[in-house]
Amino acid sequence: MKTIKSMLLGAAFAVLSQTGMAAESGFTLETVNPEADRLALQAFYQERFAGVPLEDYVNGIYAIDPPSRKQWDALEEFPPYEFDLEEGEELFNTPFANGKGYADCFENGGIGIRQNYPYWNAEQGSIKTLEQEINECREQNGEQPLKWKKGDVAKISAYMAWTSRGKPFDIKIPENDPRALQAYLDGKKFFYSKRGQLNLSCANCHLQGSRLYIRADLPGPMLGHPTHFPVVRSKWGEIGTLHRRYEGCHRDTRSVPLPPQSDEFRKLEYFQTYMSNGLIVNGPGARK
Amino acid sequence: MKKATMMLVAALALPVGAAQAETFEQVFNQQRALHGKGHEFTWQGETYKTFHAEELEAMAEPTQANAVALIESADALRLQSAAVGYEWRDPARYIKQAQAALAEGRFQHAMDLAARAKYQARLSLAQQKQVDASWYRAVPE
Amino acid sequence: MRRLTTALCAVAAAVALSGPVAAASQDELIEEGRAVYHDKTRGNCISCHNINDPIANLPGSQGPMMIAMQQRFPDKRKLRAQIWDATVANPLSIMPPIGKHWILSEDEIDAVVEYIYQY
Repeated sequence: MKTIKSMLLGAAFAVLSQTGMAAESGFTLETVNPEADRLALQAFYQERFAGVPLEDYVNGIYAIDPPSRKQWDALEEFPPYEFDLEEGEELFNTPFANGKGYADCFENGGIGIRQNYPYWNAEQGSIKTLEQEINECREQNGEQPLKWKKGDVAKISAYMAWTSRGKPFDIKIPENDPRALQAYLDGKKFFYSKRGQLNLSCANCHLQGSRLYIRADLPGPMLGHPTHFPVVRSKWGEIGTLHRRYEGCHRDTRSVPLPPQSDEFRKLEYFQTYMSNGLIVNGPGARK
Repeated sequence: MKKATMMLVAALALPVGAAQAETFEQVFNQQRALHGKGHEFTWQGETYKTFHAEELEAMAEPTQANAVALIESADALRLQSAAVGYEWRDPARYIKQAQAALAEGRFQHAMDLAARAKYQARLSLAQQKQVDASWYRAVPE
Repeated sequence: MRRLTTALCAVAAAVALSGPVAAASQDELIEEGRAVYHDKTRGNCISCHNINDPIANLPGSQGPMMIAMQQRFPDKRKLRAQIWDATVANPLSIMPPIGKHWILSEDEIDAVVEYIYQY
């Protein structure tokens, strides 16, 4: 009898600790629990925007704001990234001067692998993003690296996302390497930290401020943010990478922004993409 | 019994502790927020005015030497905030404008600009410290 | 209603006492506050707070509408302090600390207070 009682108590405790984890801990390397974070974040949005299916969050603001959705659906009938995709495919398949190509640098010839990025690279002790490895592939084969924010790197990344459409994100935090968990924690801290003269965190707009107007703009939810990048943004009038958007957001807080592919931004992407685990790749996308 | 006594002590100590926790900075900010700059207030028996330290520095005699010193100290703080990844947009701009004013011999204008740059650089460093200690409160539970 | 009448009386008395010169500068102050409130490169308050002014263009909804300000802030100075640093009341607030971070000058803050205090 006693045994059963303590087992029940144990089970109750386990349930409590799973749901309460983010509340009581999760801010140090010893206590951080990415899975509890992910579930708490999903619960936050499901309460805030009741009735929106989780899988719809890959569509950003269009998942939670029907009027914007209408305009966007019309836009998607002739997707503005179509030419970028074609160019991206061509670039991807054009051999380097040494005869090798992008397919030689990636697993499965670079097809259908977007959902595994970014990942923790234990040998180098850092987070690797897809765009970063596109450029490393070029440099290993004697080519000049591409610029990070727009143009060819965004087009190649768009094509690689396209070949991965529908695959669920599967970001892993290797348990045997605490540096990976530390990178996740750093990214999480970045997301929730206020910065700049305007004292804004990512969370200010994309968590507590999501679907509230800033002039004519509606900030989208952070859940599902990385799934649809790179994007053709109407404001840019062209295709750009996630880190281009990071830089712009950071600048909008009236900070001197960090550069694309900086250590901090790559960790932020690691955290954000982990939060989107289970959602599918739907890049490239179109956004306002 | 012991527990109850301790709780009582804690209850009594709390409001007093909270009142004592008000730092000069908190009182200064509260006064400046309510009244703007140049307002007189007392703290621990001393009288102060709600001018930022940098504004007081800019009240020194408008000379080339004073302008140069203020610009240099502002830029040193700006570099500190850049080193921790917390540099704001404007200090570098104000410093550049201050240097231009300095070159034209407009020393007071240069000092005012440098003071604003220095204040903002100081605040950006304070922001980083504060965020470090409190960011976790923003995480959904 | 009574409250409104009293408020109106108080305003009338203040205007009568302060005379035409002060009244004109009060109008100028309100105009300045209005400009700061709506200008994208100055206060840009309109990006988050709607206000019942015909010049309001694409008002945001991150913060509460500027309405019943005198009831919400019987002490005008407390309204000033809220603008100066909203994170005192709520450390997580999205509202930038307008005074503390020297986003606007103290004079500009005074002007905005006068402008919104009419609503």
